[in-house]
Amino acid sequence: MDKNLLGYKGVKPVFLIVGFLTLVQSLSILLLAKWLAEVVSALFAGAPLKEQWGTSLLFLLAFLVRHVCALLMSRVSYRFAEATGRSMRQQMMDKLFQLGPRLAGDRGTGTLVTLVLEGVTKFRTYLELIIPRMVGMSVTPLMLLVYVYTQDTTSGVILTVTMPIIIAFMILIGMTARKQMDRQLKSYRTLSNHFVDSLRGLETLKFLGRSRSHSESIAHVSDRYRSATMRTLRVAFLSSFALDFFTMLSVASVAVSLGLRLVNEQMTLVTGLTILILAPEYFLPVRLVGADFHATLDGKEAGEAMKSIIDRETVQAVKLTASGAGQGVAEKGAASGAVAGNVSSAGRVGGAGRAGTNRTAGTTLVGQPSSASDFAWTNGAILQLNGVGVKYEEGGLSSLEGVSLRFAGAAKIGIIGESGAGKSTLVDILGGFLHPTSGSITVGASTFSSLTDEAWRKQTAYIPQRPYIFSGTLADNVRFYYPEASMEEVRRVIGEAGLSRLVDSLPNGLEEMIGGGGRSLSGGQEQRVALARALLSSRPIMLLDEPTAHLDIETEYELKETMLPLFAGKLVFLATHRLHWMVDMDLIVVMKQGQVAETGTHQELIARKGAYYELIQSQLEGIH
Amino acid sequence: MKREGWFAPYVSSYFWRFVLIIVLGALTVFSASSLMYTSGFLISKASIPPENILMIYVPIVGVRTFGTSRAVIHYVERLVGHDTILRILSKMRVRLYHILEPQALFLSSRFRTGDILGMLADDIEYLQNVYLRTVFPSIIALLLYGAAVIALGTFDLTFALLMGLYILVLVVVLPLVSLLFTQRRQREVKQERNRLYQKLTDAVLGMGDWMISGRQSQFVATYEADERKVARTDGWLRGWARLRMFIGQAIVGIGVLSMLYWAAGQYADGAIAGTLIAAFVLVVFPLADAFLPVSEAVEKIPQYRNSLERLSGVEDRDGAPTQGAEVKQNGQGTRAVSAGVLEVAPVAGGRTETLDEVRTQSAGIAKIKVTVAGRDISTTTGQAGNEGHSQHDIAIQTHIRLENVGYRYGADDDWSVRDLSLDLPQGKKIAIIGRSGAGKSTLLKVIQGVIQPTEGSAEINGRAAASYGEDIPSLIAVLNQRPHLFDTTVANNIRLGNPQASEEEICAAGALAKLDSLISSLPEGYNTPVREAGQRFSGGERQRIALARILLQNTPVVVLDEPTVGLDPRTERELLATMFQAMAGKSLVWVTHHLVGAELMDEVIFMENGTVEMRGTHAELLEKEPRYRRLYELDRPVEFLG
Repeated sequence: MDKNLLGYKGVKPVFLIVGFLTLVQSLSILLLAKWLAEVVSALFAGAPLKEQWGTSLLFLLAFLVRHVCALLMSRVSYRFAEATGRSMRQQMMDKLFQLGPRLAGDRGTGTLVTLVLEGVTKFRTYLELIIPRMVGMSVTPLMLLVYVYTQDTTSGVILTVTMPIIIAFMILIGMTARKQMDRQLKSYRTLSNHFVDSLRGLETLKFLGRSRSHSESIAHVSDRYRSATMRTLRVAFLSSFALDFFTMLSVASVAVSLGLRLVNEQMTLVTGLTILILAPEYFLPVRLVGADFHATLDGKEAGEAMKSIIDRETVQAVKLTASGAGQGVAEKGAASGAVAGNVSSAGRVGGAGRAGTNRTAGTTLVGQPSSASDFAWTNGAILQLNGVGVKYEEGGLSSLEGVSLRFAGAAKIGIIGESGAGKSTLVDILGGFLHPTSGSITVGASTFSSLTDEAWRKQTAYIPQRPYIFSGTLADNVRFYYPEASMEEVRRVIGEAGLSRLVDSLPNGLEEMIGGGGRSLSGGQEQRVALARALLSSRPIMLLDEPTAHLDIETEYELKETMLPLFAGKLVFLATHRLHWMVDMDLIVVMKQGQVAETGTHQELIARKGAYYELIQSQLEGIH
Repeated sequence: MKREGWFAPYVSSYFWRFVLIIVLGALTVFSASSLMYTSGFLISKASIPPENILMIYVPIVGVRTFGTSRAVIHYVERLVGHDTILRILSKMRVRLYHILEPQALFLSSRFRTGDILGMLADDIEYLQNVYLRTVFPSIIALLLYGAAVIALGTFDLTFALLMGLYILVLVVVLPLVSLLFTQRRQREVKQERNRLYQKLTDAVLGMGDWMISGRQSQFVATYEADERKVARTDGWLRGWARLRMFIGQAIVGIGVLSMLYWAAGQYADGAIAGTLIAAFVLVVFPLADAFLPVSEAVEKIPQYRNSLERLSGVEDRDGAPTQGAEVKQNGQGTRAVSAGVLEVAPVAGGRTETLDEVRTQSAGIAKIKVTVAGRDISTTTGQAGNEGHSQHDIAIQTHIRLENVGYRYGADDDWSVRDLSLDLPQGKKIAIIGRSGAGKSTLLKVIQGVIQPTEGSAEINGRAAASYGEDIPSLIAVLNQRPHLFDTTVANNIRLGNPQASEEEICAAGALAKLDSLISSLPEGYNTPVREAGQRFSGGERQRIALARILLQNTPVVVLDEPTVGLDPRTERELLATMFQAMAGKSLVWVTHHLVGAELMDEVIFMENGTVEMRGTHAELLEKEPRYRRLYELDRPVEFLG
């Protein structure tokens, strides 16, 4: 049924135990039927009740054993499902954090969260059900059938013939139902989403003066939804109808044929009763599979979805060479005019060439995994991108192409360009969220395939447009990178980030709960918390991705005033389309269509009248 | 009590359907039981010596009938059940909508709108299980319980009582014990899972931050610890469910044994025929199948409670500020006006009414002559792009006046807006700027008449803005940060501005919003679906579609509530240019976070802590206020100009 199933850890003992329990269970079903039939027929024949106590108690024993087996099976498979579900979730969580924010962006946060929480539950239900059902399906009917054959061939034949009919009909009807679902899936989806869509758009409807009249449309669409659903259900319910119908018919046929043969004295009452009791039990496993069909299907799909994430490849940062940075390992046609220019201008920024002193001459360690110390960033070290490119699909457009840049020591680097020019991709590369598909990156003395390494990230502070404020105290949020920090330090950075006034106004000061469930902060305050966080960690590299574009202009102004002095002594990358930041940058990288169009200081670029100048012109035009 | 609010009305209006479902459900079990009963009877009867096929003819027919009828009845029962539930669902939706609709404009401040609304919709979906999984099975079980005890009672009252006691354990005692036992834990699991959901959503949103912090494994560890806690409680619940199932089965086993004992005794006494021993014993199993699931059905009750609480929670706040007392006093006026609005006087262009004229009219029956100008937009069809064309479209002259307006939500709260005066004759354009919490949204609500000022007055054409009620959308259109695009075609989305609009009018509005090139790039032009929440389009494109919509709505006043947040500078500029061009002649209240385009406004108002910090034209402010100059330079840095 599912080839993954046998691959889960510890599944074999579970199969063995469940198999054994199912055997015991089937046996007890046989015995309980036999004993019950014996008691009834003996009593019927006029035997005194007293003599039947022994067999009656044996029946009760068999009956209880049967249900104890069911209990144990369910317990064993639940344990297994729990453990497997948990390990799946752990693997997936680890993977999610390796794959980084890009995946969340692609898949949608909601989808991922639902997959982790609901998906694991569904998958667990699937595992819990599938093993006993599979084993039950293959063991119980067969055992009962063999026993029935030994007692009465005709009944055996009736039962044997019914089973394939049931299965064939269920498959046939299931397919028809699916086909019908598929045919109207599109309109079905629209209809079922209509209500949520209406609620989400309620404000808009109100503004348009359409909110009152819209309730008619809700009633109308709900009604159409009902008829569409009923059309599908009429077919879908047929499959359980078929199951019911043929089982019951089969049991009835067995009963009638038994009765006829009893009349002709071809059989004893004990046998007849035994078979009659066993007939519904024979079909029970199939009916259970039918009843749990949708639950198992959902769970199986959830399991596959999780597996597809877990099986995704993550490319680890690999150390390519330990050669010096100064060599400019230019690659793949990256040496365009603009790039050549930029290397020289970047060289001007910091005291370049220092890295050359640590050079381990000529040692080429291709493909060696990086170690933590490799990424160590010191003031004056060099960071160099060598022909870095990112292409999501083979043959697709590149998000980034042939980017060669060189930065040294502390500097403020502005990254500017229009939407889609590759700013965010570049930031993701620099932050170690994304592994480039081509090119390499040199840090200090060594060259790597990427910066996707914990050691690199630990030197980086990151301030996105919407910083992560988790549910906790303000102080804990500030201590996010550096949980060991003392309260004094927290207070100091809170002051530097301009949050003192906010803290004073809070009833619990630094211990005030913020984030989900706590006090909500304004956009500007969130940025300041992120800033305090960055300051507290004293990480040497800062990465800002569009920190102010969504804020009102006064908040933006104040935030800029706070931020600029705090950038001193760090290597700061600030990606934005707000031009005013650029004046204060030491170096500006202008991105255009995934490539570096030009680099230089504000003055230089203005004088050059290139891409930067055009960008300014287009933004400074008034509105007409 | 609240529960009745969401249940009782549907029970009474679908009473006979409910009866039908329950009868069918009972018949299903009856057929299954009768099959076993008659089968047992049949083979016992057949084994009695003076055999005759005719003697067992009736039971044979019975067995065949019951064998086939169960499936048929069950099928019909399920169809009727689902159909009824879907009907109820439809009513519940309309009802929820009616509850939410009046508070539409306050929802966003109360909830994280999208989430909570989605949750409410889910809650209603979930409530259908109350009937299908809990109410119907329980009632059917009780019904069969009664029937079984009565049937046995005709043979032997004492034994009927004993069996009644057994079934009582299955149908009442076990479910109640189970409910008491698990209620708290179930609630715990639910709450804990909600917390996990929140925590994980936060973490996925802040994944970049976690990666950078280098503490992601710590997060995974704490998250796993929380999950484990839930799993423990959950495991306990499952363990109990298994045990409960076993207890139930054990009772069934004892029941079978008792039945055997009793039937044998009765037979020995000659009270019943021997053929009935097998019949009585075999009938216990299918009957038990109806009684055993009751515990599970009842155990689900706490799960519905959350949904119900949320739904009643929404209902409780029915008296949101919209329905403020003062507004209600004006109720009569409102109704009169709606009549007035319907009384359409097609006067194209020109100043149809002056403020004084309006004032001379008796307050209640202000007769606003509306050229519901959407119909007149056809005049622009041929001349899109022609400067000043929209001048013709302004049918009503609207004059908005705010005098010393103050508003606070409660008597002890801080003032959200204080001492604010505003004069907005037809065609005037103002920009409002201020940080979050400065009182901008309160001001907009006052202008739209959604809230009645606590102090001062807000009037539109001399009448209190709040008294216009539902008629505001014919005067004021709103374009906010995230206008909702409904999951239908582009044309239908635009048409919402004026349902009577023709294709040409829609195209004309689209042309005004400069949608042409976008539309021509779409596979089906205006009839292309926008997909859920307009996902097909970028932020700027979505705003243009929404713009076309409010252009079709064609009101004399337009409120722009930060429509360009989140757009890049080029898109922002282009969108603003289109907007201002299309809105020539209309009054404009534009809340903005940037100062791009401020020079095109007649007045710029800076708000801080609910009051006006500075105001004037762009030129005046630039000259007088160094602070304004400083801010303006962020949008247009002087260094760059040189």
